[in-house]
Amino acid sequence: MQTEIKFNPDFAMVRVQFDAPGEQLVTESGAMVARDTAVQMTTNMRGGLGSALKRKLLGGESLFQNTFTATAPGQTVFVAPAPEGAIEFVDLQPGQELFLQSGAYLCSTPGIQLDTKFQGGKGFFSGEGLFLLRVHGQGRVWFSTYGAIHTVNIGQQYQGYICDTGHMVAFTQGLSYSVNKVGGLKSLFLSGEGLVCTFQGQGRLWMQTRNPGALASFVHPFRRVKVQTN
Amino acid sequence: MQVNILYRSSQTIAQCWLQPGESMLAESGAMMGMSTNVQIQTQSGGMMSGLKRLFGGESFFRNTFTAHGGNGEVLLTTPLCGDMVVLECGRSQWLLQNSAYVGSSYGVDVKTQGSAKGLFSGAGLFTLATQGQGQCIAGSFGAIEPLPINGDLIIDTGHLVAWEAHLQYRVTKATNGWIDSFLSGEGLVCHFTGQGMVYIQSRSTSEYGSTVGALLPPREN
Repeated sequence: MQTEIKFNPDFAMVRVQFDAPGEQLVTESGAMVARDTAVQMTTNMRGGLGSALKRKLLGGESLFQNTFTATAPGQTVFVAPAPEGAIEFVDLQPGQELFLQSGAYLCSTPGIQLDTKFQGGKGFFSGEGLFLLRVHGQGRVWFSTYGAIHTVNIGQQYQGYICDTGHMVAFTQGLSYSVNKVGGLKSLFLSGEGLVCTFQGQGRLWMQTRNPGALASFVHPFRRVKVQTN
Repeated sequence: MQVNILYRSSQTIAQCWLQPGESMLAESGAMMGMSTNVQIQTQSGGMMSGLKRLFGGESFFRNTFTAHGGNGEVLLTTPLCGDMVVLECGRSQWLLQNSAYVGSSYGVDVKTQGSAKGLFSGAGLFTLATQGQGQCIAGSFGAIEPLPINGDLIIDTGHLVAWEAHLQYRVTKATNGWIDSFLSGEGLVCHFTGQGMVYIQSRSTSEYGSTVGALLPPREN
């Protein structure tokens, strides 16, 4: 399998070329852009209904995933996320884990497993939904961001790092984090910064340079106001 | 403060490095990430200046970031996709369209201009003016084009980012008649005169907002 990420960081797209029949790619539903005719597509709830529902309800991912299988050599599939922005990939070995913010998952090779991880009380305050997606297994996983990707190596360049919850995308297993308010209660309500994740340990943190929530709050005042009739 | 502009031109952020003990200011909500030795303080600078800033189209509060016990890093971003430019303040000073302000070094004071000119500039009720020595980071919606002015130039108020304070400018209708001006969709323009630099943005936030906003279902309030 040969893979390529094109058009980073503005309008990224993944191109996967299968070398041999039988090779597979699993994608988030709706992510396919184009495929050769000898690539078969099947839709399923990976890990069964219970696991798929949990992913949908708790991880923010869709209920269904699509599996693309090559039936001839040299077949190609293109995959892209919904928002404009960048794509990054991570290769995992057995025993390694990656945590993804809900909605960031794009596609993966079949050896990759996804499940939701309970964040406890932390998740409740983080505004990212209660659950993160835990990615493990062996293979390659691609995730997407809104805006460009900024990578921070914690434990080498930085002792630790503070990241706005709306800009956090992914992090490796060596990092522990806590969700805090910044600068006391006053900042929480007045500074606009709200809640941040403070990361410590050894590992890598991926951030996105734009925040979908900020775009939504920019557009909101431009909506027409509903006229009340009663 | 040292500023490094990354991921230009549409997904731009400003990576700001602070020396131990050094402070900087940033627009509330602009902080995307920072090193753990940086502390945030929220200050409105008094009720009146906070209110004035609110009318300037900016959020009421600006935050102060200070590096403690070592070099610090702060990443600043903008809500919309666009570019950033670092304005050197000192020998020349700058005026900013109200929503363009992202952050500034501690030696730069950024004040709201409440003049009648600012009121009618259409670039919001107020423009922002820099004072002092240091750097000010301006953000845009869309790409930034630097336009050196030598003589006269007319710029749509919605496409202004920042301009040198010594330039003369007046806000006028786009065409001679009010009706033509309204129908042309151009609204108000800034007529600049003199020698100096103007930064313009390739998209206008109000045009974008009204295009998208009209397609969305109405809101309750």
